[in-house]
Amino acid sequence: MKHQLAGKAFHSEFLAAVEKHCEQEISACYQCGKCSAGCPVFEDMAIAPNRVIRMVQLGLKEDALKNEMIWCCAGCSACTCRCPIGIDLARMMDTLRQMATHDGVPMPPDGARVFTFFQAFLDSVREFGRLSEVALMGSYNINSGRIMTNVVKAPWFLLKGKVGIIPHKIKRTDRLKRVFRRIEEIEGS
Amino acid sequence: MKFGYYPGCSLEGSGAEYAHSAEAVLAALGVELEEVDDWVCCGATPAHATSHLLPVALSAIACAAAEKQGLETILTCCAACFSRLKQGNHDMQNDPALLAQINEIVEEDYHGGVAILHLAEVLVRRIGLQAIQRRVRKPLTGLKVACYYGCLLTRMPEPLRIDSLEYPTLMDDLMRAAGAEPVDWPFKTECCGAALTLARGETVVRLSGSVVEMAKDCGADILAVACPLCQANLDMYQSDSESKLGRQLGIPVLYFTQLLAVAFDLAADAQCLNKGIVDPLPVLADRGLIETGVYL
Repeated sequence: MKHQLAGKAFHSEFLAAVEKHCEQEISACYQCGKCSAGCPVFEDMAIAPNRVIRMVQLGLKEDALKNEMIWCCAGCSACTCRCPIGIDLARMMDTLRQMATHDGVPMPPDGARVFTFFQAFLDSVREFGRLSEVALMGSYNINSGRIMTNVVKAPWFLLKGKVGIIPHKIKRTDRLKRVFRRIEEIEGS
Repeated sequence: MKFGYYPGCSLEGSGAEYAHSAEAVLAALGVELEEVDDWVCCGATPAHATSHLLPVALSAIACAAAEKQGLETILTCCAACFSRLKQGNHDMQNDPALLAQINEIVEEDYHGGVAILHLAEVLVRRIGLQAIQRRVRKPLTGLKVACYYGCLLTRMPEPLRIDSLEYPTLMDDLMRAAGAEPVDWPFKTECCGAALTLARGETVVRLSGSVVEMAKDCGADILAVACPLCQANLDMYQSDSESKLGRQLGIPVLYFTQLLAVAFDLAADAQCLNKGIVDPLPVLADRGLIETGVYL
C-alpha cells in the first residue's frame, strides 16, 4: 500500500522524542519487515508495524499517533524478539500509545475500545489493589457503549465458579492511591 | 525447599484451578510456599501500555514486601505476572537511579534482593524431573499433549529468558516426566490474542482458533497452558472458532499443573477438571486416567 506524503507535516523532532522516551534506536531500522511478518494482529490491520517505524523515522507524527495499529498491538513482543538489530518495537508501541494519550490525539474506534479496557483494568487496580474481573467486564461494557460484550459467556463464568463476585482488596489501598497520583504527576497525564 | 509466592489476580478469579493445582503439586513435592504480604496486581499489559513508571512501581511493591519477609525468591504461576515482575525487578536491579525514584514513589526501601521465578522453571530446574517422575502414581500414558507457551512466558529480553524463544521445552519435559507424549508442533509460541478479548473479539477468535486447529492437526488430545489468559481464550472461544472454521475441534485446555495433579493422583479439588468449557473428562477417562464418577 502506498503512503501519501504530499501535504503531510514532517516533525523533525518527533523521531528523537520517540527514541528518547523508549530508549530505542528507531533510526537504525532498515525496513527488513520481520516485525510485520511475525505480527499476529497485522492481518486485521491497515498499517503494518514496520510502517509505523517508518512514520516515526520520517517524523509523520500525526500518522504514527492516530493509527489503530498502536492500540491493537497485543503486546506479544514477537517483533521485539525477531528484530535483527534488537529494536524493542513493543516498547516503542507503548511510547506511541502514551504520547497519543498525553497529546489527546483522537483515537480510532478500536483504539478507543482498547483504551477503555486499559482504564477499566487500572481503575480496579487503583481501587482494590487487585484486578476484579467482574468489575472490569462491567465497567468496560458500560464505558465502551458495547453493553453486550461477552454477555453470552457470562453463564459459563458463573456456572463454573470462574469469577468471584466480591473483589479481593489489599490492606494498603491508601498507599497505592498515592503511588498512582505521584506517577500521574511525574508523567503529566 | 521454600519459595515466596505471588498468586496473581487471575489465580484468585477465573484461573483458580491453576492456583489449586499448582499449590497441591508443589505440596506433594515437599515445597513450602509463603505468600507475599499484601501483594498488589502486576498491572499486566494496561500498566506498561499507558505508563513508563507504573509497571515498575507495582513490581517494586511486591518485591519490597518479599524482601521484608526475608524471602529470596518470588514464585509466580501466571505468565503475565512472571513477565511483568521479572522485567520490573530487572530494571530496578540494573538502574540505581530508577530504583531510588521508584522507592520514593512506593514509600519503600527495596534493595533489589529478590529473584522472580516461574513455576515451570522451578519444577524442572530446582526440583528436577527425576523427583517429579518419582512422584507420578498414574502415568499419563498414551495422552498426547500439545504444550502451548504463548507469548509472555518466553519472550523476554535475552538475559531474562528461561527457555528457548521460538521452541521452548520446559512444559514438554514436565509432561514427558508425567508419562505423557508431548506433541511436536509449530505453534507453541503463537499469540492467542491476549487482552484484545474485549475490544477485538474477532481477532481473538482467529488467533486462538488457529492455535487449537494446529494442535488438533498435529494429533494432540489436549492442550497444556501456563497462562490464565491463554486458557480463557483457547477454551472460551473454541466454539466460536469451530463455527468460523466450519470444523469440530474439541480440544480441552488444561493448565499443565492440572495434568501433573492427575499424574500424581491428587484429590479432585486439586485437579479441578470440571472448570473448562471443552470437557477434558472423556479423553482422560478413555486413557484410564480418571474415574468420571468422582466429578459428577
